[in-house]
Amino acid sequence: MAVAERESQLPMFNWVQQRTHWRIDPVTPLCMAILSAIGVCFIYSAQVFTGGNLYLQQIGWIGIGAVVYVGVSLVNYRHYLRHSHWFMMAAVPMLALVFIPGIGVELFNAQRWIKVPGLGTTIQPSEPAKIAVLVVCASILARSRIGTLSRSMWTLGKLALAAGVPMALIMAQPDLGSALVILPMVLALLYASNLSHRFFLGALAAVTLTVGVVALDAYYYNRFLDENRIDPKDSARGNLYGSDHSWLPYLKDYQRNRVLSYAMPDKIDPRGISYNINQTLITVGSGGLVGKGWTEGTQARLGYLPRAVAPNDFIFSVLAEEKGFLGSVTVLGLLSVILANGVRIASLARDRFGTLLCLGATTLLAVHVFVNIGMTIGLLPIKGLPLPFLSHGGSFLLSCCILQGLVQSVYRFRKEF
Amino acid sequence: MKRSFASSYRLVLVCVLVMAAFSGIGVRLVYLQVIDRDRYVAEVERTRKRVQVMSARRGEIRDANGNVFATNRSFIEVGVDPQAIKPEDEARAPQLARLLGVSQADVLEAFRRKTQVAPETQEMRQIRWTKLAPAVEEPIYEQVLGLGIKGVYGNRQFRRVYPDGTRAAHVVGYVNREGTAVMGVESFLDFYLRGQDGWVESERDGLRRELAQFRAREIEPVDGHNAILSIDSVVQTYIEQEMRELVRRFNPLGASIIVSDPRDGFILGLANYPTFDLNEFNKADIASQRNISVTDIFEPGSTFKIVPGAAALNEGLVTASSRFDCSEDTMQFRGRTVRLPRDSHDHGIMTVQEIIELSSNRGAARLGGLLGEDRLYKYARAFGFGETSGFALGGEVSGMLAPVKNWDGLTISRMPMGHAIGATPLQVHMAMASIANGGVLMRPQVVRRIEDKDGVIVHEFSPVQRRRVVRPETAELMQRLLVGVVSPKGTAPRAVIPGYEVAGKTGTTQKIIDGRYSSSHHVGSFVGFFPASRPRLVISVIIDDARLNGTAYGATVAGPSFKVIAEQLIQYYGISPTQPLPGNGAAVAQNGANRPSGRDRIR
Repeated sequence: MAVAERESQLPMFNWVQQRTHWRIDPVTPLCMAILSAIGVCFIYSAQVFTGGNLYLQQIGWIGIGAVVYVGVSLVNYRHYLRHSHWFMMAAVPMLALVFIPGIGVELFNAQRWIKVPGLGTTIQPSEPAKIAVLVVCASILARSRIGTLSRSMWTLGKLALAAGVPMALIMAQPDLGSALVILPMVLALLYASNLSHRFFLGALAAVTLTVGVVALDAYYYNRFLDENRIDPKDSARGNLYGSDHSWLPYLKDYQRNRVLSYAMPDKIDPRGISYNINQTLITVGSGGLVGKGWTEGTQARLGYLPRAVAPNDFIFSVLAEEKGFLGSVTVLGLLSVILANGVRIASLARDRFGTLLCLGATTLLAVHVFVNIGMTIGLLPIKGLPLPFLSHGGSFLLSCCILQGLVQSVYRFRKEF
Repeated sequence: MKRSFASSYRLVLVCVLVMAAFSGIGVRLVYLQVIDRDRYVAEVERTRKRVQVMSARRGEIRDANGNVFATNRSFIEVGVDPQAIKPEDEARAPQLARLLGVSQADVLEAFRRKTQVAPETQEMRQIRWTKLAPAVEEPIYEQVLGLGIKGVYGNRQFRRVYPDGTRAAHVVGYVNREGTAVMGVESFLDFYLRGQDGWVESERDGLRRELAQFRAREIEPVDGHNAILSIDSVVQTYIEQEMRELVRRFNPLGASIIVSDPRDGFILGLANYPTFDLNEFNKADIASQRNISVTDIFEPGSTFKIVPGAAALNEGLVTASSRFDCSEDTMQFRGRTVRLPRDSHDHGIMTVQEIIELSSNRGAARLGGLLGEDRLYKYARAFGFGETSGFALGGEVSGMLAPVKNWDGLTISRMPMGHAIGATPLQVHMAMASIANGGVLMRPQVVRRIEDKDGVIVHEFSPVQRRRVVRPETAELMQRLLVGVVSPKGTAPRAVIPGYEVAGKTGTTQKIIDGRYSSSHHVGSFVGFFPASRPRLVISVIIDDARLNGTAYGATVAGPSFKVIAEQLIQYYGISPTQPLPGNGAAVAQNGANRPSGRDRIR
């Protein structure tokens, strides 16, 4: 295997510099810096009325993120090809730690965080898990030849294991959103690896089927509520439909409510589940073309946009309200530049692993951007996914920096032929 | 090295996919932020702005002595927002139920029932407000708040209450449940009574808490002014008592009693039958809510004879002792023979005085003939017939007085006896009051003044003269002639009050049933004033279709009521007798009749 041979020729302890001339892609880090600065501004703005130091925290995380970014981009990405299983070795136990009492932190009925001893902070192990899955899957696909579906079964099996175990653990937290992000990334890697179209048609069919099943379930759920005159918001009834009446027992009623609040927001009361949707639409829409001005957004300030989520998952609403359409498009543009640059670097890379790393990182970023902004503006159901570089949150920022560091590393250490 | 994977076409496809997704976001943003912006901005304003109205206290309506006819009670409507009820609040439900005086089960039901099916759409809707108690007093409400149940709160409201619901109902009027003043003084003086609601404009946050620092404007409510009526609750009580007595005895279709001061036109009491309870206006039928004293017309009958009588005297056509042969059943008028109406019995030759005293139809017709159509019409107008009296409370009709060109051949002989004319009880009352007032017709008024809540007079209603109808001498002469009516020899011997010269006129008209005069349905009336030489009070009693055996003559049905009321009012106002008590009511009338010496004899 040509790739493995080349890999073995790399000096073990000269990871950082093995090229004679220095090159760097300035576009992505510039956009990242601008976006992070914007993020700090609007985290501050979201909290200006109630007071809070999240923006200071965020500045700290950005500092750490910058160091991590530089560090990752200085390391030749090809080392990971060989040692990718170590990523998985680290990520899976971290995911498991979440469930250990005393280490895992339970918040909002979900165990998504673990305490970091000494630092006094918590991290979200689903973030490193995303990176691990990316690196492992990219390395698997880089080593194996992908062709027709029948000939690629072994590889696909390995991929399913590499992606499936972390996904299952994340889903068990439960954090359906983070788990589902992994799926499009893996699909993108497979697609770029020339997996036959039949597979994707099958996947498409599977997705369509799932959506159809969920829609049907939502329909019956809605009918069930109407027939029994049950208030969907009534939390006291618990998982009544899901546990007793549904043929889809894995879906919880609160998740059904989210589906309903997306599909028929009027059904569910305006102050309840769809409150977030309504308020985020009002928040974004009332921003208009140029916005109400920084720190002047009334929706976030007065708590119509729930204060707990305004600085993180709904940071885009705050921005859209205060800087309007122009501000939203600017941020969207900066993010698009990073994505396009990721695709460009993927195509510059002359080895599979590099291309796949870039593509995977870019896909992860794109999915986050699309899902987050999509929910903010009512295109997608409410999913607790943050917006890269803007949302408050250390783990996620670090994971984004690491992913972009990988892209930079591919840019810097790619071979030129 | 040729790339063995990731054909550029696949990369392009991925890029296109991503771009499509981003374009979707862009399009959606254009929709939200550019196209639909105004809608969302309006929504922001709507949810944030909070205008809390602070109701002004409506002014009171009081009688001349300060007795309250209409006031307000402050109370708090207490309810619950079930969405804000937490499970632990249910532990305090028994205390709440006890405070509000409702059953514990009802409270728990209101706490737990969080949704309902909207009747129009069959959709499930959340309940945001369930009424627990409609009217809670302030101290109780304080205790309710003290329980600390977040979803339980109340709205302070004023409810209009009429302490004695039926008293002067048609004058006082009422305010309906929507707060609209519907009739009576409530409606007429609504501008003064209602005051000015205040309001607080502020913003509220996402948890619906008021943000005091954004309080944009705070306007204190201005309480309404109080209206002081000329109605005297004592007088009103007397006439309402008598009204009940009349209803008990005669079970009439309708009846009106009006008492006023002839000198200034202010009404001291006004009662109608049927009537209603102001506090339960919603249960009363519309007919009983009409102030029939001004809305309904009747043929005044003989009470109208004061018009041709006073007119003929005022024009100098006759004196009190001018004589007419009332046995003739025709008269010559403008070259034609006019049939005269019948009298109850043949009176033979009568003086003008006797025509009035005995209420001769033929005599009145002869006076009408002397006057001619134009003067009769002119005086009828002057006495206020055929026009509204300016009574402020609304609903007043002008009655029916046809212009001369529309008269038929008999009108000249029938109108003098009060037929072929339609008048409201108040018109008849005011016409008589103008005689009592020395010939000046006043505007009937019920409101004396408007005061603010500290008693400072805001507006005072002064007496309004409408016009001089007859000369003072004529009025004085008419007063004397009318005293003769209320005497043993006149038509109203039963209204005589020993010691007081009572002047008045009876009236009895057959009602027109199915287009012809009925012989069994009558309107009986008596309008009188006293003391005749210095009139203090005018009293009208008009009874529509009294049910009794025989004819409901005004003298029989209305006269005694007049007397009952007059005697009570003499006591109340301390009116001193004008004659020695054993005296004879007819004496004055005879003096009056003797004075003009029969100079202008017509025949």
